[in-house]
Amino acid sequence: MADEEIPASAAPPAGAPPKVAAPKPAAAAAAGAHAPPKPPPAMAATPWDGPLTGSLKQAFGDQISQYSTYLGQNFVVANAEALDSILDFLKLEADFDYLVDITAVDYPKAEKRFELVYILYSFASNERLRIKIHVADGVKAPSAVHVHVGANWLEREVFDMFGVEFEGHPNMRRILLPEEWTGFPLRKEYSILKQDDRWVKENLGIESGH
Amino acid sequence: MPESTFLDVNELVLNMGPQHPSTHGVLRVILKLDGETVTGTECVIGYLHRGVEKIAENRTYIQFAPYVDRMDYVAAVSNGLGYCLAIEKLLNIEAPPRAQAVRVILTELNRITSHLLWLGTHALDIGAITPVFYCFRDREEALKIFENYCGARLTTHAFRIGGLQYEVYDGFEQEVRAFCDMFIPKVDEYEELLTNNRIWVNRLKGVGVLTGDECKEYGVTGPVLRAAGVKWDLRKAQPYSGYEQYDFDIPTAQNGDTYDRYTVRMEEMRQSVRIMRQAIEKIPAGPIMAKVGKVVKPPAGEAYVSIEAPKGELGYYVVSDNSTQPYRVRVRPPSFVNLQALDRMVRGGLIADVVAIIGTLDIVLGEVDR
Amino acid sequence: MVRLLKTIFLWDLLQGLWVTFRNQNPKYICTEQYPSERPKIAERYRGAPRLNINPDNGETLCIACNLCALACPENLIVVGSARNEETRRKELSYFTYDTSRCMFCGLCEDACPVDALELTQDFELASYTRDGAIWDRQMLEEGPKPSKYLS
Repeated sequence: MADEEIPASAAPPAGAPPKVAAPKPAAAAAAGAHAPPKPPPAMAATPWDGPLTGSLKQAFGDQISQYSTYLGQNFVVANAEALDSILDFLKLEADFDYLVDITAVDYPKAEKRFELVYILYSFASNERLRIKIHVADGVKAPSAVHVHVGANWLEREVFDMFGVEFEGHPNMRRILLPEEWTGFPLRKEYSILKQDDRWVKENLGIESGH
Repeated sequence: MPESTFLDVNELVLNMGPQHPSTHGVLRVILKLDGETVTGTECVIGYLHRGVEKIAENRTYIQFAPYVDRMDYVAAVSNGLGYCLAIEKLLNIEAPPRAQAVRVILTELNRITSHLLWLGTHALDIGAITPVFYCFRDREEALKIFENYCGARLTTHAFRIGGLQYEVYDGFEQEVRAFCDMFIPKVDEYEELLTNNRIWVNRLKGVGVLTGDECKEYGVTGPVLRAAGVKWDLRKAQPYSGYEQYDFDIPTAQNGDTYDRYTVRMEEMRQSVRIMRQAIEKIPAGPIMAKVGKVVKPPAGEAYVSIEAPKGELGYYVVSDNSTQPYRVRVRPPSFVNLQALDRMVRGGLIADVVAIIGTLDIVLGEVDR
Repeated sequence: MVRLLKTIFLWDLLQGLWVTFRNQNPKYICTEQYPSERPKIAERYRGAPRLNINPDNGETLCIACNLCALACPENLIVVGSARNEETRRKELSYFTYDTSRCMFCGLCEDACPVDALELTQDFELASYTRDGAIWDRQMLEEGPKPSKYLS
């Protein structure tokens, strides 16, 4: 290969130009811990400790298993059962009143393969926080609709793309894909060329084009 | 079939779209009507679903950049900026100051083109045909700058991870300055056409009210949130790409109705010109590209980066597994989240207002469906 | 009182109409009479692809390195190469470019180390068949030939 693969994190060595500015000291620490050349490709997150973690620890104890920060962005890993009360607590006690996004990441090899990510924002303190929970395939996740109304479509999209159902959701249906579609496209085993051939044939009258 | 139920019928289900000009694309809304009053809605979306997030997992970081332009195709530059910032965050680098200044100018220019398209089509929906011609005429001038700068008008692919691909062309500064000088009188002209027009005011005042608390509940951002009195703009709250150097105001309004959203967006265009004027005066010299290898390969990790797109908060949540392809890219589309509030806004209103409210939300279906 | 008078005499509507009449001045006409009048295309416009040839000897500049095919997000470039036994160099044997799938992002021309592949200012790419959108080496070197309209 003509072009060598340069891990971009390794690009700024000691004599790096000053324009490569580290946003925050915590982020620099996280990125400074260069991963060894080969695996593990795990995130070099550092523990997070702040005023918020104290109150969360007090309120939820071991329901939250990890407080971390990476590139200056804080996240916690929680038990799926505790999600409701954590969102409620954060909304009422800590002013995290804006649910930015709900999404999922699929790790097929993990024991609980879906990592649901809830991104919260607080208008009062101008702060972001991510909550992660893990659910196994076929297990229902708790719905956040009764805490944040805006979760409605976001959860439907997660269901549509990953097949994670949400317990207590008022309208758990597909949103972007047709209702009769089978398969969940954003799962890792779903190839990019794959589609529901039967649906395409029945509704569009064409043989799928691949 | 039972005996005639004709007299019992007091609810009508009406289908609107997907082939309807005022849905700005292929949005289908099922309306439940009681006479002229809307008692419930349901949006059917997904007609434009292309699986952008799946495509991302099968492309390299650099290859995916052109695809983000195709989500919100009237604000492609903003999409590209958000994506580049997200990957730069993962790489823990920052674009050089010169690149940042050019990025700000182009993004603000893009905000103006997006708002102009919104203004023209929104006015067209309400029945004012004239503004759309003027808006498109002036939008053309901005698009010419894009074309001269990067060779494309709409799906620009103007930015690259780490900075810019193209150095600004000769005459860029003059053209942007000329646009700024030309544009402010034009905004006054649009306002002359619309702001006091009795039809415009009567159609918009008090229609589709969304209060600040409701906005937060639904996650609605952008001009819709600001029109409800919440003074929140990501360019101020969490400045990116050097926005903290520029002096500008966040326009807000109090009532949160359609008319207020109109005034907020008009004022935003003026503020964009203000930012561009400041940025064009002091484009720093220097490189336009940070040190990025030929192959972008961020360390394993994840980042959420969001910017203030013309329509609201546009976020990218990127998970990297230390390979050349992203493990997961999630786009937080402002249009998708804003559209969710449509039900709350039209409920109890008249059927004629549905068109006005869809227009004022300024959705782009390419972004809703991705 | 002023407001009432303004309402009665349709001041707001006249104000808007005045804008419309002002803009009817012929010097504000901005319509382009395409195709009789050629539009101005930006120098950097990313339009039809072209394989440049060396003007001195008529040989292609392409060194068949395949970098454009690797850079393309849509994988629509196919580069064929064969080794010339006399000069011991890799030479281009065929080159196809599927413009029907191209989104003109410009990544291929960025990747080209010898400026052989270039996106040009030609923008008239329509063809009557789908196969016509797949360009071979000859087409890429000569450029598209859209029909000329009488003007």
